[in-house]
Amino acid sequence: MEGVFSYAPAIAAFPLVAFVIALAFGKYMPKKGAFAGIFATLGSLVLSVLMLVAVASGEVYHETLYEWAIGETPSGIGGIEFTFGILIDPLSALMLVIVSLIAFLVHVFSLGYMNAEGETGLPRYYAGLGLFTFSMLAFVFADNLLMAFMFFELVGLCSFLLIGFWFRTRSAPSAAKKAFLVTRFGDYFFLIGVVAIAATFGTLQFAGDGSFVAAAEAAMDGTGEAWTPAGIGIESWVTVTGLLVLGGVIGKSAQFPLHTWLPDAMEGPTTVSALIHAATMVAAGVYLVARMFGYYALSPTALAIIAFVGGFTALFAATMGVVKDDIKQVLAYSTISQYGYMMLGLGVGGYVAGVFHLMNHAFFKALLFLGAGSVIVIMHHEQDMWKMGGLKDKAPVTYYTFLAGALALAGIIPFSGFWSKDEILFDAMIVGLEEPVILAAYVMGLLAVFFTGFYTFRMVFLTFHGEPRSETAEDPHPVGWSIKAPLIVLGVLALVAGIANLAPVAKLTGLDITFLQGWLDGEYGAVEGLTYGAYSDLLAYETGVIGSEQLTVLLAAGLSLLLAFSGAGLAWKLYNVPEPVAHKERLGSVRETIEANYYQDEYQVWLAEGLTLPFARAADRFDQTVIDGLVDGVSTGSRSAGSRMRRLQTGIVTNYAALLVAGFIALLVVLGFLGGWFL
Amino acid sequence: MSVGIEHYVLLSMGLFCIGLFGILTRRNALMFLMSVELMLNAANINLIAFALYHGDLTGQVFALFVMALAAAEVAVGLGIILVLYRNFRDVDVTVPTTMRW
Amino acid sequence: MMIEALIAVALVGALVTFLAPNRIAGKLAFAISLVPAALSLWMFSAFDGAGNALLEGDLAFESQVEWLQLSEYSISWFVGLDGISLPLVVLTTILTTLAIVSSWTPIDERESQFYGLLLFIEANLIGVFAALDFFVWFIFWEAVLIPMYLLIGIWGGPRRKYAAIKFFVYTNVASLLMFGAFIALVFALPEVTTFALPDVATAMLNGGPEAMFGVAGTTLASIVFVAMFIGFAVKVPIVPFHTWLPDAHVEAPTPASVLLAGVLLKMGTYALLRFNFTMFPDQVEAYAVPIAAIAVISVIYGALLALAQTDLKRIVAYSSVSSMGYVILGLIAYTQFGVGGATFQMVSHGLISGLMFMAVGVIYNATHTRMVTDMSGMADRMPVAVGILVAGAFGYMGLPLMSGFAAEYFIFFGSFGADFPYAPIFTALAMFGIVLVAGYLLFAMQRAVFGPYNLETDYEVSTAPLHDIAPMFVLLGLIIALGVAPDLIFEMITDAVDPILDGGEL
Repeated sequence: MEGVFSYAPAIAAFPLVAFVIALAFGKYMPKKGAFAGIFATLGSLVLSVLMLVAVASGEVYHETLYEWAIGETPSGIGGIEFTFGILIDPLSALMLVIVSLIAFLVHVFSLGYMNAEGETGLPRYYAGLGLFTFSMLAFVFADNLLMAFMFFELVGLCSFLLIGFWFRTRSAPSAAKKAFLVTRFGDYFFLIGVVAIAATFGTLQFAGDGSFVAAAEAAMDGTGEAWTPAGIGIESWVTVTGLLVLGGVIGKSAQFPLHTWLPDAMEGPTTVSALIHAATMVAAGVYLVARMFGYYALSPTALAIIAFVGGFTALFAATMGVVKDDIKQVLAYSTISQYGYMMLGLGVGGYVAGVFHLMNHAFFKALLFLGAGSVIVIMHHEQDMWKMGGLKDKAPVTYYTFLAGALALAGIIPFSGFWSKDEILFDAMIVGLEEPVILAAYVMGLLAVFFTGFYTFRMVFLTFHGEPRSETAEDPHPVGWSIKAPLIVLGVLALVAGIANLAPVAKLTGLDITFLQGWLDGEYGAVEGLTYGAYSDLLAYETGVIGSEQLTVLLAAGLSLLLAFSGAGLAWKLYNVPEPVAHKERLGSVRETIEANYYQDEYQVWLAEGLTLPFARAADRFDQTVIDGLVDGVSTGSRSAGSRMRRLQTGIVTNYAALLVAGFIALLVVLGFLGGWFL
Repeated sequence: MSVGIEHYVLLSMGLFCIGLFGILTRRNALMFLMSVELMLNAANINLIAFALYHGDLTGQVFALFVMALAAAEVAVGLGIILVLYRNFRDVDVTVPTTMRW
Repeated sequence: MMIEALIAVALVGALVTFLAPNRIAGKLAFAISLVPAALSLWMFSAFDGAGNALLEGDLAFESQVEWLQLSEYSISWFVGLDGISLPLVVLTTILTTLAIVSSWTPIDERESQFYGLLLFIEANLIGVFAALDFFVWFIFWEAVLIPMYLLIGIWGGPRRKYAAIKFFVYTNVASLLMFGAFIALVFALPEVTTFALPDVATAMLNGGPEAMFGVAGTTLASIVFVAMFIGFAVKVPIVPFHTWLPDAHVEAPTPASVLLAGVLLKMGTYALLRFNFTMFPDQVEAYAVPIAAIAVISVIYGALLALAQTDLKRIVAYSSVSSMGYVILGLIAYTQFGVGGATFQMVSHGLISGLMFMAVGVIYNATHTRMVTDMSGMADRMPVAVGILVAGAFGYMGLPLMSGFAAEYFIFFGSFGADFPYAPIFTALAMFGIVLVAGYLLFAMQRAVFGPYNLETDYEVSTAPLHDIAPMFVLLGLIIALGVAPDLIFEMITDAVDPILDGGEL
């Protein structure tokens, strides 16, 4: 199978070529470049599946392709090479398939969503999608942290270009700017982390003996050397650098407090939202944590912070989702919340659970966004759920696929979301029994399940059930195959993807059906050290059980199911009526705070416009008056001195002669004194 | 009593002071020019007197140079005065102060 | 003789262009400027030098001819290139050619003089980067000012006289300070009888100056170091000596801005590297903390100033101050990646700022305004020009796979683990510049090029002609090429930088 891997670079190269083609020739092509993107992502998908098959047959691929720069580390721990390389192991092969599949489906969906609407600038759109897919795929198979950072940033650029696709409006460029800026703020810490790790260990490789994870491990054992600034202990320095990298993760994966860009990013086309939320930009953050999980496993503090941030974000975002009226806004907050779960899962050491949820979420969130896109087409570009209603019978394909996605999102058995979310909560629970911080994170995650069930079904009922509440809802726009086909594919996946890792069933029955765990544990093939087993050995967590393991499993699953059902049930009671009304008033004073998103936007905008901008203006005034004033002052000073001095020049020649004589006499006298004439 | 070097120097000094006085007090440009000539000639007397005193002809040659230069200077000076007169209808040196800056 | 040929072609070309009729001057200058560009590219491919020019390295295209004898001091025509100066020479020739093409549209009076001056500036810039004798170097260094003064003063905006005089006097006074300091240093160095920079550098590293005028040798070296640092700091410019730059940029015609930001600013950092950071390793160590602080202040303060501007050119001008702060940070790090990255940043910033000024110029040609408050939605009418502006802006923000990222990454990596006190903290503070730069550029673009189309002036806006766009594509191509493969020049730069860090021991 070695031969297959030599095509690995093409996985990313195909979409890059599509980007160039769409940008240069899209104008002249049928469908404005869509087919270039479709074929490119299809090619990537096929190759990715081949990689998956190759990995399943026990092969892995880790190859440096290209040297970017080489030199000496400044900290004096030898040379360092910055390279571009490809690492295909179980994790990246899985992610490659997910990303290229979603990208392919989004491209197909765009045919119906963008082309049919007579949009202008479609070549730009398809070029953006191509570049986006390229960046994400290259990020996924990056074999070192610097390359990962580079494509991480490029993903940010693409999100800027695509969120701001409708640049002729006021809001889209603003949202695009915000997305780039907020994630840039996170990337600032990430870049410090990259630089610090490179300076500390002299390597940025993810895998192998020369990896920074191995170097950190060796340094902590006392068998390896590492540089730390000002003699900080290696343990705390690993934590610090890990948290710095985490800054980028929090920015991209929209975790609290850098989540504010994501709801605004709904200004972009819905297809772009699907791509961003399911498979590319937002997923990149969590994927990065999974990719360098070994490094985090060395630092219990960093892991606990990841878990806590994740749990908090899950709950925090879920509460905001319950009051939104715009269908895309609800989905946006659900994304933030779901990525919070993944962070929680990874933070408690549930590597498999986190990756499992990443995969399931990719499918059902892409499904929900594309479903929402379909609803928006049906509704003639109306996004307010209060103007919908009764679409169930008029658009059955959209309804049933959307329902599958919603059930998965809410975590209802047996849909995929249940299995992964339950596994995360189970992992959090058993660790939480021993660690109070994790317990807090777990409780927040658990509470979020209730809100998730509620807002998900509130959305479903308002959109599809009841009576049509507007004229467009009574007379829907038909949708074509290019919209329906991706929905059906994803709908099936949302239903069945859970089979990949039926951990509770395995624990209860003893059957060996945890395929994903085996996959990530290197049962088929893996790079040494990058397996679930290796990570588990590094973890310092104690786990506890309530009663027996079986009882704990049942308790965890039962609790989350109960909460999910009660959330969904409440939504059923309140909104599954022919003429639903808003119940926000019942929230009382809390409502205002939640509708304002806990004033998160306000304070961040204040930081930018209320603090930095006036400060910059003050600096400008200081610059113009004090610093430039000094410079101009020197010139005005010398000029005014000159204009005083020139009054000596009276223009009367007699005065000059007199000055001449006086000067001569003065000179004589001085010389005379010095010569001693008058002594 | 023979005429010693000090007499020449005294004469030259007197002449120079008359010229200097003229420059400092006169306002007529022509008188100005003549005063300058007086000062130059005072210098010439010194040159010749010391040449005689040292028995060296260099000083006398220098005096010749100074005279030639003085002639040239007068030519230029008169030219300037003519232009002054043409522009200001006057040869008073205190009048054309507008040319200072 | 290659360097002489480069300079001669540019000088003769300047003269010919000066005498040519206005009608053909632009095309003629372009044709002439292709010769040095092609020559320098050939030199780039044929480069066989090694080591640092000042520290007994193997020079490429070296030539040395005795010129003058002043008492016991001799002055010679001494030129040569190493891995630091060659990329800058290539940058100069390419940017000049592109600047000439980009002036076809905006320059419509006294063309022959304009293009002649551009070529004249090119000759002097090549001289600055190639000269290895202090006097020859200084002549070129000062001669650069004259054409730039005229370019701003004749073809500039409404306040051109103020800007041109400020530029000229400010930088000239600084040169005087630097000149005096260097001459004093040469006189104080024992057994140095030439003004050849390698001789001075060798003497400095082998004991340094002797006492002079009752000032001890080490004190004298420190005084000279500080005086030269300030002298070059004005040219770079470093806060607080930066105020001439925005004025000069705003008033200068676009092609002059391109050269000013692209190459003239690099003269300052190049000289800092050649003089201060090569000849005074002890002083560099002693003054590391204040210099690093100045670098960080330049980065952050320059970025804040850019944030407060509404004139596109002023934004780019202040961002140059910010970018030059990175160069200083890289230099003071005194590590291979730091100094190498600083040199890389000189080239990279030359390309990117050149691109930005060109793009702003193209938009100005159409709109006759540079105020972000006066326009909106320019992307609607000038998609290609705006596309390149956006690409350039992302290059400025240090987007990976563009040269700016490579430069900044090298600098940050080089200074984070560097030896000077508090290096990680200084580096982390300076790195915040990457957030601020994104802030002000995105903010400006959001207002000027996105949103609904609106223009306060009455000019008709149409797409830009090809000859305005083509130079920008060339620059964009170079920026991406250097970002994807920094080793194109980084290898030769580190080769030339290493001897400096080893204290001249080869």
